[in-house]
Amino acid sequence: MTWLTWRQFRPQAVTSVVALAVFAILLAATGPHLAGMYASSGVASCHGGGCQPLAGNFLTTVSGGYTVVFMLGMAGVLLAPALIGVFWGAPLLSREFETGTYRMAWTQSITRARWMASKLALPGLAAIAVTEGLSLMYGWWAAPIGQAARLASGSNFPLGMSPFSLLAFDAHGVVPIGYAAFGFTLGVTAGVLIRRAVPAMAVTLLIFAAVQFVVPLAIRPNLFPPEHASQPLTANFSGVQSQGPGRRFALALDYLDSQPGAWIYSSRAVNAAGQPVSIMPAACAHPPNGDSMPCMASHGFAVAVTYQPTSRYWPIQWTETGIYLGLAVILAGFCYWRLGRRLP
Amino acid sequence: MTSVIETQELGKRYRRLWALADCTLSIPAGHVVGLVGPNGAGKTTLLNLAVGLLAPTTGTIQVLGGPPPAKPAQLARVGFLAQDAPVYAGLTVAEHLKLGARLNPGWDAEFARRRTDWLGLDPGQKAGKLSGGQRAQLALTLAIGKRPDLLILDEPVASLDPLARREFLEDLMEAIAEGELSVVLSSHLMADLERVCDYLVVLVGSRVRVAGPVDELLATHHLLTGPRRDPATLPAGQEVISASHTDRQSTLLVRTSDPILDPAWTVSGVGLEDMVLAYMRQAAGGGRRRDQLEVHR
Repeated sequence: MTWLTWRQFRPQAVTSVVALAVFAILLAATGPHLAGMYASSGVASCHGGGCQPLAGNFLTTVSGGYTVVFMLGMAGVLLAPALIGVFWGAPLLSREFETGTYRMAWTQSITRARWMASKLALPGLAAIAVTEGLSLMYGWWAAPIGQAARLASGSNFPLGMSPFSLLAFDAHGVVPIGYAAFGFTLGVTAGVLIRRAVPAMAVTLLIFAAVQFVVPLAIRPNLFPPEHASQPLTANFSGVQSQGPGRRFALALDYLDSQPGAWIYSSRAVNAAGQPVSIMPAACAHPPNGDSMPCMASHGFAVAVTYQPTSRYWPIQWTETGIYLGLAVILAGFCYWRLGRRLP
Repeated sequence: MTSVIETQELGKRYRRLWALADCTLSIPAGHVVGLVGPNGAGKTTLLNLAVGLLAPTTGTIQVLGGPPPAKPAQLARVGFLAQDAPVYAGLTVAEHLKLGARLNPGWDAEFARRRTDWLGLDPGQKAGKLSGGQRAQLALTLAIGKRPDLLILDEPVASLDPLARREFLEDLMEAIAEGELSVVLSSHLMADLERVCDYLVVLVGSRVRVAGPVDELLATHHLLTGPRRDPATLPAGQEVISASHTDRQSTLLVRTSDPILDPAWTVSGVGLEDMVLAYMRQAAGGGRRRDQLEVHR
């Protein structure tokens, strides 16, 4: 049976080996130079407050072609699970139903359970290997940019993505394993239920996209309770500040000095008692040098930040991977049950 | 006589539609059995139930004395050629034989190779590029190559042209002549099966209308032609399958194991095809209505 599964999977296997090779060549051709630039930028050996400008400098020098590779690589890692679900998972069984070949396969001298196990195992493991392979290669290539992005604050440079930012989190670590397993089994399930390849492919893409939209926005922030911190106001406030009519003001931070790379959920100005404030004290409205921050700091104002510390990066990665793997196991079990008991 | 397929009130429902309902039949071993019936009689459903592709909604089915195959040892005993002879379009002829060898412990590689050679199938040819007849031959090679005790063929010639039909069936006879193989093959055309089967089961609307060895069926069915007469006045033991009347003459198809003694009748034999058609028409109720129209004319 393994032979048949392999023979049927061969075209996809060849395609994915070619894709991995192209990806590897692209990254290998540009990666060492990028690492060299990082080494000579001084970010690696910096200390404390000196890091931020160095990291910012490095990120601005890395531009042009590197931006393109950075984006392409990320797109490759993020799209792989969806493509695997659509082009490997969805046709896997629906094609057998569409062409009627399941009637041939199921009347050979092996059980349907073994057939299913083999059909799921080989492409499923390949899906995980390919996606995680892409992610690891990309992770190696993008490591200098990731290091610098963690240290630089408020950078508008497109490469300035912290480890927790939406796309970066999805492309690194172990979550690609979960996405690949889920995407593949989702496609298989759609194929089992719909029994026609093209509609199954469309449904797979829609559901996968919806899940990949909902999980980062609605589920991931709630996996672990966030922490709270208060950052004192200083001259030259580096966050976002806005002022409205009648001494109204607002402050926001996308960076915590004490936690470089932390995931900021929300931030706002609070008074000494910790209550949110939006009206500036009259004394601070017209400071002599135009910077009202030291004045507000003397009134006990600070910025309250709700955040996920960097130490939660791996717990969140593993938890999310576990959720997706759990979904994949449930879907695979459903296909097993559906084909084993309720027959076409 | 042992049965290769035996069903008791077997039924299969798809959502609200019964594809097969209340079907009780017994197909004996050691024959080439023709399962004939019009489209929609439930033949394909019955055969799919027999090979374990489907699970029954009601009733029971026994295949080779056990439940329909599910475990490897039982699966190996039943060879199946599904309707439209599905093959993997992307795999070559040689790869199909390899598939057979990998998935069947009892695979007869020598037979399979000899047969594809003899059929002139190019081993390197993709199955998707084969003609309909060649595809059916390849699928049949797989079904026989596993050396089953029971070979089930679902409409094996339906998609073939007349010449390919004849070749396929002749070839089938040759391939099964060697072993102690029971064969069940279905068709909605009696003409397809006439040459090959020695046992007949006529299935109409899930019901067995008639079943028996072909020679026995031929010996007990007679076409009676004579002066016009009400079929109800025939002696007991003569079952009227179909009747047609003109103003002066009646033609009856009668089933009986007794000799026909009434000198008024001209007795002649009846071909299998006409006999089967008569049973199908009887089941459809169409024959009776036509008779009435003719009577009132």
